[in-house]
Amino acid sequence: MRHWIFVLTWGLVSSVALAQGGAQPAILEEQSGTLLLKSSQDADPIDALRVETSIRAQVTGNVARVHVTQTFMNPSSDWVEGLYVFPLPAGSAVDELVMHVGDRELRGEIKEKQAAKALYEQAKATGQRASLTDQERPNMFTTQVANIAPQSSISIEIGYLETVPYRDSRYTLHIPLAITPRYNPQAGVDPASRNAAQLTHAINMAAGTTLTPERVTSTLQHVDIDVELAPGFALDAVQSLHHSVTVTRDGIRQHVKLSGSQVPADRDFELVWTPAQLPALQAAVFAERVGEETYALTMLSPPVVAQEGAKTDERREVIFIIDTSGSMFGPSIQQARAALQLGVDRLTANDRFNVIRFSSDASSLFEAPQPVTDTSRVLASRFIGSLQASGGTEMKPALELAFATPPAAPLADNAVLRQIVFITDGGVSNEAEVIALIRERLGAARLFSVGIGAAPNAYFLQEMATAGRGSYTFIAQREQVGQRMQDLFRKLEQPALVDLALEWPGGIQPELATNLPRDVYAGDPIVILARLPSLPSGTLTLSGRRDGSVWQQQLPINVVDGQAGLAKLWARERIGELSRLKSVGGDTAAALQGQILQLALQYQVVSEYTSLVAVDPTPARPVDAALRPEQAPTSAPVGSYWQTGVTGFAQTATPAQLWMIVGLVALGLGCTLYSYRRVRVGWD
Amino acid sequence: MGLKVQRRRVCRWSFIELAAVVALGIGLVCVAQATWIRGKAVLAQWLIARAWEQAQAGVRAPKPWPWADTTPIVKLELPAHTSGLEAQQLMVLDGASGRNLAFGPTHDPASVRPGVRGNSVIEGHRDTHFRALQQLRVGDRVRVQGLDMRWVSFAVVDVRVVDSRRSRILLDADVPRLTLVTCYPFDAIVPGGPLRWVVTADRL
Repeated sequence: MRHWIFVLTWGLVSSVALAQGGAQPAILEEQSGTLLLKSSQDADPIDALRVETSIRAQVTGNVARVHVTQTFMNPSSDWVEGLYVFPLPAGSAVDELVMHVGDRELRGEIKEKQAAKALYEQAKATGQRASLTDQERPNMFTTQVANIAPQSSISIEIGYLETVPYRDSRYTLHIPLAITPRYNPQAGVDPASRNAAQLTHAINMAAGTTLTPERVTSTLQHVDIDVELAPGFALDAVQSLHHSVTVTRDGIRQHVKLSGSQVPADRDFELVWTPAQLPALQAAVFAERVGEETYALTMLSPPVVAQEGAKTDERREVIFIIDTSGSMFGPSIQQARAALQLGVDRLTANDRFNVIRFSSDASSLFEAPQPVTDTSRVLASRFIGSLQASGGTEMKPALELAFATPPAAPLADNAVLRQIVFITDGGVSNEAEVIALIRERLGAARLFSVGIGAAPNAYFLQEMATAGRGSYTFIAQREQVGQRMQDLFRKLEQPALVDLALEWPGGIQPELATNLPRDVYAGDPIVILARLPSLPSGTLTLSGRRDGSVWQQQLPINVVDGQAGLAKLWARERIGELSRLKSVGGDTAAALQGQILQLALQYQVVSEYTSLVAVDPTPARPVDAALRPEQAPTSAPVGSYWQTGVTGFAQTATPAQLWMIVGLVALGLGCTLYSYRRVRVGWD
Repeated sequence: MGLKVQRRRVCRWSFIELAAVVALGIGLVCVAQATWIRGKAVLAQWLIARAWEQAQAGVRAPKPWPWADTTPIVKLELPAHTSGLEAQQLMVLDGASGRNLAFGPTHDPASVRPGVRGNSVIEGHRDTHFRALQQLRVGDRVRVQGLDMRWVSFAVVDVRVVDSRRSRILLDADVPRLTLVTCYPFDAIVPGGPLRWVVTADRL
């Protein structure tokens, strides 16, 4: 026995001694010197507030429940009020806030925005820990946390719901992680300046946090993601498009986890899965009874017509618009150029086309759309090859240029179909203005958006397509250009499904969250959220016309258990539609604001007029201690201007010493055991 | 009774014997692994240095070993006082992958080549090639030699420890600059810590 103790003690003491011997003090003493290392724009980066994010998502059927935990870490010796700006999917119903203080959980409540703010400010002033989550833009939120103690942290957990539709032959769970700073045309920056986008960002930051609150730096923010996938059917493949993950399978459930612990949050997370068997699941209706009312979610993807290439008798006029602003710097402009070149290559001799580029100003390749000839193709390729990213993001002049060209004269009895393909990262703050312009001037044209980069403004790109009666696609990496442009070509070239009509069993009159889409393109899903007076039974009939012929589909209705959150999803969708109506303006704006507020309070979701607030009743900060406000930076997209000019660190230690110590301890143990055996033999 | 005791003892001994053999086996494997890591670091440097001399003599792209997939880009010389009596010469490899780091310090391909205006970043293992960095002090001289045999001298202007989770190295510099990076603390047993020892040297 004595030998055992000796061996163990020897091992422990020797390893501790070795570990201690090397540890030199003074990490903080060595900070003076020249400014070579860029940690953030702060003077004292080591003490800066930072936020680490951990995301847990649970996908059940077509609905995802996501929990985002933000840990505010305050390494300084001051009491800090933290502010963090972060992206969320635009269609998400944010309904949950939990503040973790030590072991305690403090649940947040939905309140009218002003009331929530007042409650938060009061708690802050009296030294209580409090947190407030606001919607800044439809896909950009802020969290404020008051009274974070010196050298401590507070975790905030935010919960949201969203639908996961089947689009372009795949299901996609998209979790935005980084933010492309929004260019503000009103910021007073000379739009001709080469760094207009960067200057605007600097001005936005200096102007404070009320208008354009994003603050991006090259600082590393880390994220941890965990997804439980229970789609209810067998899967063919699960793939994470931009992160390396480990997937473990448990029957038809899958568990997806990011590989590695220090994953930078500098690109959006996209998880894609495809069902093993295609036909049955392209259509589904779920109905759920909540209290007195019933909510129904209808999702289907009309089958894609098995036809490749454009119809020969149709004449198209395609106007490409490409964003060459500063925020497109780096991989984004390369992806955009490649996408544009593919678009031009795809045109046929029947088509006409033009290319418009814009940054601080807009200019076009040809004065008017030209027929596709060898010469015009060569000119276009040369033009595309010369595009560089710099300057501001003035979208309106580019759109005006596109709409100003008179449509080509119709030939014979075939009308010309005008399609505008808009390639951008969507980094603007005047989203509503641009959408209004599209809605106003669209006429018979159709606008399709192509979202570029590691963290595009997805909300804006989708809204552009909705206003432009077109569709959208996203390209996040150079390798995706080909496949995603194929998805887009199908939408551009195949006739859309129009005149949609919905017939509920028993003549029920539903209240739809949004109107039925006017045009459904190849690969696009139809997602309908409805509030019904009673639980429907039987089948739902959806019909429409495509290319002159009638298309019809019967959908059986499945009743689900009342936990799926369809009511909240309906409310969120309805609020989105009301905001859209409100942005058109007019006399109804005030009334619509009232309706949005009322819906958000009734269904307990965050909106532009409601926020989540949580307060810890126990006072934390002593009255005489000062509170310092600080904004934790958000990651900028990888390769963007805000991430260039710096490099990271490699892993520069080998495990040799660890192996050696483990080896020596094991050898020592082995020898002692061996001698122990001989001693026992000797005693006998 | 005696028989019973005897049998119990036999079982007990054989268990201890087994444990001893397993422990000795594990010990040998671990020690061998550690020795191999250290040995590889030394052997690779020697082979690369030989290839470098061939390249300087005019042989086109000589390989240090037949399956090598990296090439040396410069020779780095650290002053004598850092490692012993003689100045330590190290072959710097192109591209900072984990595998290259086992063979020598590596040059970060995002940064400029050493000697050119801008910041040139070279990283190495704290417990093999770059162990000597802990002895570097402000004012020390560091030299690099390119394939053209010309030496370029740098003077250390800053030595500091940073947290790699929150810092990045600026690639811009007004002068030709060399940034040597290794893990910190030098004698930590478990690899993978967040701290880095960063030595900055500007061209003389």
